[in-house]
Amino acid sequence: MTSPDGIRQDAAGSRAIPQDLDRDLIAIGQDQDPTAFKRLFADLAPRLKYFLIKGGMIESAAEDVMQETMMKVWRKAALFDSSKASASTWVYTIARNVKIDRLRKERRPEPDPEDPCFVPDGPETGEQAVSRKQDRERIQKAMALLPPEQMTIIKMSFFEEKSHGEIAELLGVPLGTVKSRIRLAFGKIRAELEALQ
Amino acid sequence: MSIRHHIGDDTLMAYVNGTLADSLSVVVATHLAICPKCRESEELMEEMAGLFLMETDTSTLSATETAMADAIPGSTLQEDISEKQSRRMHDYSNTGVPMPLAERMPATLDDIPWRTLIPGISHYPLPRTGSEKKKGTLRLLKIAPGKTMPEHSHSGQELTLILRGSYIDDLGRFQSGDIADLDSDVHHQPVADTAEDCICLIATDAPLKFSGFFSRLLQPVFGI
Ligand SMILES: [Zn+2]
Repeated sequence: MTSPDGIRQDAAGSRAIPQDLDRDLIAIGQDQDPTAFKRLFADLAPRLKYFLIKGGMIESAAEDVMQETMMKVWRKAALFDSSKASASTWVYTIARNVKIDRLRKERRPEPDPEDPCFVPDGPETGEQAVSRKQDRERIQKAMALLPPEQMTIIKMSFFEEKSHGEIAELLGVPLGTVKSRIRLAFGKIRAELEALQ
Repeated sequence: MSIRHHIGDDTLMAYVNGTLADSLSVVVATHLAICPKCRESEELMEEMAGLFLMETDTSTLSATETAMADAIPGSTLQEDISEKQSRRMHDYSNTGVPMPLAERMPATLDDIPWRTLIPGISHYPLPRTGSEKKKGTLRLLKIAPGKTMPEHSHSGQELTLILRGSYIDDLGRFQSGDIADLDSDVHHQPVADTAEDCICLIATDAPLKFSGFFSRLLQPVFGI
């Protein structure tokens, strides 16, 4: 079952399990495993294409971005670090960058961990080193507690990749309201994540 | 370095979903390079985006698209790390500032060919490429000790990252590494408050507006 905004309401028929994706991506990175890539492709490529179309791309452009993204997933899989992100998140960031490069014809400004000026993360405490799976579940729980007017904006931002200005226009509220709702939403999510720890 | 002023969640979210203006994105990315705390927020937001990706419906793929699942592993070399390494080779020109600001700098902070705006205040507009040119501004600004920036407001958003020295304004004290994330309704007047020049990286997504008679005279000088 799917709601009108295209977000899946139940898990039935969805065969992608986050931990399987992580495992497949690691197998691609370590062993160049084509079977793992096929599974990952079958799980992620149709979602990615839908996601890109929902984000405002015409079908042919979405196809190109999806294909280039999956190509990069294969080529860069060895750089995937499952302690830093889950597979779907890692693929999301690649797709986003492919899309930006394509729209703006230039590389997205990003920090580079190899830069001598880069300030690395402090040593992780035992408390912070929760498993990725737990992290996801906590984030999902925290998001579920957001009031609808904040959740709508979060959905429009992440699911439809709308800018603050576009959201303000679509909802008929001032830009400042969109910004303050986003700040409130993340304040709440952080507080929930701490409470759930 | 202890950073006390961080990127606003609204700004960071626009950076994460790729809708933030390029000029502002350069400042965000430069702060992220030196701020583990904001990188943690960035990771949280990306994780949320990844969750949304997993919850979407699926599009039907054409036969050509489906065939890629077999074609990619067969035809392409894995590990495209060399591309990244070759980029690194020429990017680090030892400018003493983090990427991605470093790749836009013509020289180190000590050797910038500053252009004087008014006595005690000079700037250097950073070169822009591609779509960046169309919208917003990106510049280095140097304020001499005790000098005040002309009061100004913004029609859009302004991000300021302190690279050296510090300044004080209504919102507090901003030191090296701090970022001031200001909305259009804010009027502010920073004063460099130590014996050192205050050097900042400033980006806007719209031209600056100066208030007051003297400042209005400056508008053409800033020419932003
Ligand atoms: Zn920060």
